[in-house]
Amino acid sequence: MFSRSIRVGAVSSDQIEQLHRRFKQLSGDQPTIRKENFNNVPDLDLNPIRSKIIRAFFDNRNLRKGPSGVADEINFEDFLTIMSYFRPIDITMDEEQVQLCRKEKLRFLFHMYDSDSDGRITLEEYRNVVEELLSGNPHIEKESARSIADGAMMEAASVCVGQMEPDQVYEGITFDDFLKIWQGIDIETKMHVRFLNVEAMALCH
Amino acid sequence: MEGTELAGKILSTWLTLVLGLILLPSAFGVSLGISEIYMKILVKTLEWATIRIEKGVPKESVKNSASVGIIQRDESPMEKGLSGLRGRDFELSDVFYFSKKGLEAIVEDEVTQRFSSEELVSWNLLTRTNINFQYISLRLTMVWVLGVIVRYCVLLPLRVTLAFIGISLLVMGTTLVGQLPDSSLKSWLSELVHLTCCRICVRSLSGTIHYHNKQYRPQKGGICVANHTSPIDVFILTTDGCYAMVGQVQGGLMGIIQRAIVKACPHVWFERSEMKDRHLVTKRLKEHIADRKKLPILIFPEGTCINNTSVMMFKKGSFEIGGTIHPVAIKYNPQFGDAFWNSSKYNMVSYLLRVMTSWAIVCDVWYLPPMTREEGEDAAQFANRVKSAIAVQGGLTELPWDGGLKRGKVKDAFREEQQKNYSNMIVGNGSLNSESN
Repeated sequence: MFSRSIRVGAVSSDQIEQLHRRFKQLSGDQPTIRKENFNNVPDLDLNPIRSKIIRAFFDNRNLRKGPSGVADEINFEDFLTIMSYFRPIDITMDEEQVQLCRKEKLRFLFHMYDSDSDGRITLEEYRNVVEELLSGNPHIEKESARSIADGAMMEAASVCVGQMEPDQVYEGITFDDFLKIWQGIDIETKMHVRFLNVEAMALCH
Repeated sequence: MEGTELAGKILSTWLTLVLGLILLPSAFGVSLGISEIYMKILVKTLEWATIRIEKGVPKESVKNSASVGIIQRDESPMEKGLSGLRGRDFELSDVFYFSKKGLEAIVEDEVTQRFSSEELVSWNLLTRTNINFQYISLRLTMVWVLGVIVRYCVLLPLRVTLAFIGISLLVMGTTLVGQLPDSSLKSWLSELVHLTCCRICVRSLSGTIHYHNKQYRPQKGGICVANHTSPIDVFILTTDGCYAMVGQVQGGLMGIIQRAIVKACPHVWFERSEMKDRHLVTKRLKEHIADRKKLPILIFPEGTCINNTSVMMFKKGSFEIGGTIHPVAIKYNPQFGDAFWNSSKYNMVSYLLRVMTSWAIVCDVWYLPPMTREEGEDAAQFANRVKSAIAVQGGLTELPWDGGLKRGKVKDAFREEQQKNYSNMIVGNGSLNSESN
C-alpha cells in the first residue's frame, strides 16, 4: 500500500488501519486533511501550543518535502510520517538507531521553535513560544513572559558558546546547539505515543 | 378471486395472532414468554457464531477490547508530566509534554468517539457492525443470510405493524380520555393508555428490559433524570411508570402525538421562543412539581444523544428547579442491536428502520435512591454528583465534556481555565528559577 519507505517503526497493520479510520474521521472522508479539520478535536483546544502542533503537521521540513514552507493539505502517508516522529524507542534497536531516532525527535521540536526556517532559534522566536505557552492567562504580563524567555536564552548561550565577550551577540540556537543542550538527558520517554498491543514488525530504516 | 380471498385470510389470521398474542397481554402487563424464547435462541446462535469466528481467525489478529482505544494515554496530571525534565530550560521541556498531549488528542480524543456507535468485540451477525471480520466459513455465512431473511421479512413487518398500532392507539386513546372531566378516573385511564401503548411500542422493537431497584421508582412531585442515548429511552422508562415529559413543541407526527397526549395528562411542552427564556422554563417546571398530584417530570440533562459508553456533562439548568431528583441509569446491551441515534448521520426514519431490523433492544434500567441538593452545593456540583452516581451504577465512564460538542466548539471559559492552571505553574516555578540563578 505504501511505496515510499516510511519510518513507521513498531506499528502493526491493525494499528495503521485504526489510524486510517481516524484520519478519515478527521478529514471528513476526504483524501487529505487541511488545517481547519483539526478544529474539530476538542481535546486539542485546551493545548496552549495547538497552533504550533497543527503547523508542525503541515511543515515541509517535517514532511521531508523541502527546506521551508507550509503545505496546504496532507494525505495519509504524510500523516503517518508525522506520527513516526513519536514512535517509542524499541529495546531491540541498536545504539546507532537509538541515536538516530532521538535526533529525529529533537529535530521535530526544533522545527516547532524555528518558525522562519532559517536554522536558528532567535530570541524573538523563543519569546513567541513562551508567550504562546503562557497565553490565555491575563494575569501574566508580557514583561514576565519576555524575562523568562531572555533568561532561558542566556542560559542556552552559556551552554553553547561558553563565556561571551561583552559585545558578542548570540545569534540564536542552531540545531547543533539544541542537541548539545539535550545531551545526556533522556527525552525518549517523554516524547512518544505508545500504541496498545504493540507488535514490533517494521523497523526504522 | 382466489388470490384476494387467500390474501384476506392471511391478513385476518395475522391480525388475530397479533391481537391475541401481543396486544392483549400488553394491556394487562402480562408476558406470554414468546420473546423470552426468541431471546434464548438468539443468544445461543450468537454464542455459536462467536466461537466459529474465534476458531476461524488466525491468532495474531484477535483484537483486544475495541473500545479501550488505540493508544496508551498519559493520564498523569499536568504537574507530574511537566516536572520530569525541569531543571534545564523549562519551556523547552514543557513543549515536549504539550506536543505529546497534542498528538495524543489528534490520534484519539475522548469526545468525538462518543458520538459514533460503540464497536463490538465480536460480530453479532449484522452487516452494519461488520467492520473487521472477514469470511470465516460457509456455515456462518448461511446463518447470516438466514438472519437477514428473518430480520427483514419476518420481524420487520411485524414490528412496523405493532408500532403503527401502538402509536395510533396512543393518539386515539389519549384523545378519548381527554374528553373526560378532570378526576381520578381520568388519571387512572390515562395511565392505563400510556402504559399499554408504550408496552406495545417496546414490543415492536423486541425490547427486553430489566428493571432493578424498583423500590426507588420516581414518585409524584419529583424530577427523574437519566442518561440519553436515543428517543427510545422515553418508551423504555414509560413502560414501568408514567412520567410528565418536557420538551419543545414539534411539527409533523411528533406534534400530533404531543398534542394528543397532553390532553390526557399534563405534560410540559414549550414553544421554541419560550425555550430561550430560562426563567420561564424554570418557573413552569417549579409549578409542575409543586402540585403533588402531577406525575414526575422526565428530563435528560445531557441535552443530546450520547453513544451509551459514557455520561457527559449534565446541564445545570435541570438541577436549579429544586425538588427531589430521582436518578435513573439506562444501559443498552450493544450485542443485540445498537440503540444510539447518531442524528448527524441518520434521520429519524432511517434510524427507526435500523432499530427495527436489529435483533432486539436489550437494556438494563437501574433506579437510584433519590437525591437532593445539599447545603453549600451549587447546581453545577449537584449535577456532577448525580452524574457520577448514574455513571457508576450503569458502568459508564464519566466525562466532564459538554454533549453540545457534537455540534459546537469548546467554550472559551473551559479552555482559559486549563491555560490559567498551566501558567500558574510556570510563574510559580519561574520565579523560583530566576531566584536560584
